[in-house]
Amino acid sequence: MPERPLWRQVFDAVDRRVAGPVEAGARSDVFADALALAWRVQRRLRREAERQSARALHLLNLPAAADVRRLSRQVAALQREVRELSRERER
Amino acid sequence: MPSLAASDLRERVERDVRRALLRGRNGLRYAAGTSRAKVGQTPKDVVWRRHKAELWRYRNEAEVRFTPPVVVVHSLVSRSYVLDLHPGNSAIAFLLGQGLDVFLLDWGVADEADSGNTLETYVDEYLPAAIATACEAAGTEEVTLLGYCFGGVLALIGLARHPELPVRNLVLMATPVDFAGMSGVTALAREGRLDPDDVLDDTGNVPPEAVEGAFRLLKPTAEAAQYANLWQNLWNDAYIEGYQAMAQWTRDHVPFAGAAFRQTVEHLVRGNELVTGDLVLSGRRVDLGVITCPVLNVMAEKDHIVPLPAAEPLIRLVGSDEADELRLRAGHVGLVAGRSAAKVTLPGIADWIKADSEPTEGT
Repeated sequence: MPERPLWRQVFDAVDRRVAGPVEAGARSDVFADALALAWRVQRRLRREAERQSARALHLLNLPAAADVRRLSRQVAALQREVRELSRERER
Repeated sequence: MPSLAASDLRERVERDVRRALLRGRNGLRYAAGTSRAKVGQTPKDVVWRRHKAELWRYRNEAEVRFTPPVVVVHSLVSRSYVLDLHPGNSAIAFLLGQGLDVFLLDWGVADEADSGNTLETYVDEYLPAAIATACEAAGTEEVTLLGYCFGGVLALIGLARHPELPVRNLVLMATPVDFAGMSGVTALAREGRLDPDDVLDDTGNVPPEAVEGAFRLLKPTAEAAQYANLWQNLWNDAYIEGYQAMAQWTRDHVPFAGAAFRQTVEHLVRGNELVTGDLVLSGRRVDLGVITCPVLNVMAEKDHIVPLPAAEPLIRLVGSDEADELRLRAGHVGLVAGRSAAKVTLPGIADWIKADSEPTEGT
């Protein structure tokens, strides 16, 4: 068996002690609720930041990411319609 | 003997200096990102394509000695090159070397146009067409279907909804059926703490970062251990190559189509309907009991993504008389990549497939 350097032995010993409690923490109810809340808050904050930056860009008559997204949503909708039409044709 | 000890010491110092130099060189290369892993190297041809989904046929430079061909169904959330990581560590290359004709159904990278893809899109539209193409390309009437992870779920649902599909054998690897046995973010969704819509991004899909984050949460300290392994083996070129390929894969997820994700959470995770038998898709009940072909359920005992309790019940749910299990002391990825895969998993799977296959004419 290849020898393990001292630093690795120390790391493994710490890992053995820490991994269990950290994993248990990640599975706990408190963490679960915090994570779900963080996800929601992050989503809202991102939307708010985008809304504000879009307002500023629109003042300068520049397109914002939201405008590009609206366009790509329309392209995607068209793609879906084409797919649906080709499915109907195949039936 | 002092002279021996001195030579030992000198050898050790020389080795450590040599390794330190190699560590420095490899570390710089790694940090600069100049030596990216070359993944998915086995030559292949696209034999079928629909929207983002593609069916690849790998070129068998040896000889195809068994029929029917194997159609691998990959997961919806990860890159399929985990099955063909790099030369010397490729499940696909191994199966080819066993004389099998190998196809892989890759779902591609879902974007906004695919956000409306439901489970039916994959199991009713893409899967049957891909199987038909594989039969046609190989000149056979049947295939062996091999599903990995969520690809196994799709293979199961597809076969249950279409028992007429020409599938001779079904192999499922790390396939969750009892979602009550899943932990992490799946448990959050099951308990209603996480709403599927909270995870979807503006494209209507689950972003790859969320998928990656969900996997990381299952073993929060794993990344630190990986870096420790990297530092310890940074002098070893072969190790670095394998590490980079695997590290690239673990950070390289694909978006989960939003509609299919909602169905997965509602029916499979919260309702656990594969086990209860209540799964209804497009007005038709999905009964795993109608699957009667030989089934092999391959499970990894150290799998933290699909733990044993999530994969074990499969044998009881299918209607096959010949339903076998293969349990291995490996992790989720260790089933398909790495030393244990090459030594245990893949030979076991290949032997099982070959036992239920026939030699091709002329062999």
